[in-house]
Amino acid sequence: MSCSPYDLRDYFFGELARDEQRSVDSHVKTCTACREELDELRLTQSTLLIVRDEEPPRRIAFVSDKIFEPNWWQRLWSSGARLGFASAAMLSAAIALHAWVSRPAAALAVQIAAAAPAPVIDVQRVIAASEARQKAEFEKALAAERQQWELEHKASLVRMQQYVEVLQKQMNVMLLTSARNAAAPSGEAP
Amino acid sequence: MIFREVEDRDLIAKARRGHVEAYNLLVSRWEKRIFNYLYRLVKDREDAMDLSQDVFLKAHQNLGKLEDVARFGPWLFRIAHNEACSLLRRNRPETDLESHVEGDSWGGSAVGRRMLPVEVSLAVERALELLSEDQREAVVLKIYQGFKFEEMADILGCPVSTIKSRLYTAMENLKTTLAPIHMRGVE
Repeated sequence: MSCSPYDLRDYFFGELARDEQRSVDSHVKTCTACREELDELRLTQSTLLIVRDEEPPRRIAFVSDKIFEPNWWQRLWSSGARLGFASAAMLSAAIALHAWVSRPAAALAVQIAAAAPAPVIDVQRVIAASEARQKAEFEKALAAERQQWELEHKASLVRMQQYVEVLQKQMNVMLLTSARNAAAPSGEAP
Repeated sequence: MIFREVEDRDLIAKARRGHVEAYNLLVSRWEKRIFNYLYRLVKDREDAMDLSQDVFLKAHQNLGKLEDVARFGPWLFRIAHNEACSLLRRNRPETDLESHVEGDSWGGSAVGRRMLPVEVSLAVERALELLSEDQREAVVLKIYQGFKFEEMADILGCPVSTIKSRLYTAMENLKTTLAPIHMRGVE
């Protein structure tokens, strides 16, 4: 039975609070029995860790299925441009509603009766404004997509690098094994 | 420790939006740990490989249900635990028949000489096999995967007190089983 102020096994696995850990630290310095118990735990753990992790026999990778892939609109909607679109739409709706609600009824009648060619000029201006707005939105969406593509490209590079590291490690292991085999006494071979 | 330019949480966010390559990168970061965890539980490389694939497929299908992205690791191991349990339940009758085999796992012929590392590896694997499934899983999660008790409780779905009890009993058993190795030493 341990005389430690806290469970030595909790201490060993680093599961105590900082002050509890410190308390056991100072106890262990003066208690031989607890030190021996800790040594046994360390020995058992280090023996267990002789068994190393293995490389999986195959790499797991998923391929994209076109049926389940989001279409261009879903991608755009889920991208950073979503908020921009939403706020632009809300602003347009608010302007249209305000214009409709606050229009003077009598003036409308006068406009229709008195100024026939005026709507042609208005339509051209509206079309130009609309085109400019669409262009700006398109460029915004394009920039977001480009940024997304760059991120994906970066992720692919990191992944490739990791694969190369694994391959290098495997080659090192193979070289080490062949070197050991070459160094082994030849008399044992049949 | 590997410096990760892109964090797991970024990859999870992208994978949730349907980016397969982001998910593949996430898989490449975790597949070795998941494979080794499953391998130590089911003791068969091909079974462990098949289960690993199932784990990542299920994780992908349920990625939207992951509430706390920071706890992706324990969540993934929870799926792996469930998959391993299903397989072990299906194979239980055969496992029970095979479980009572030779007594001295490190052979009586070489008593007295120091053990080779490969002999120690075999002895450790045998010692782990002698534990109950629950105890072995606790050892694998703590010693080999380095999870905290709280995380292990999430993975295994049981209280921390139960986890501690399983782990500490397992450590006592292992201490006894591995004592001959400690006495003989390793070359």
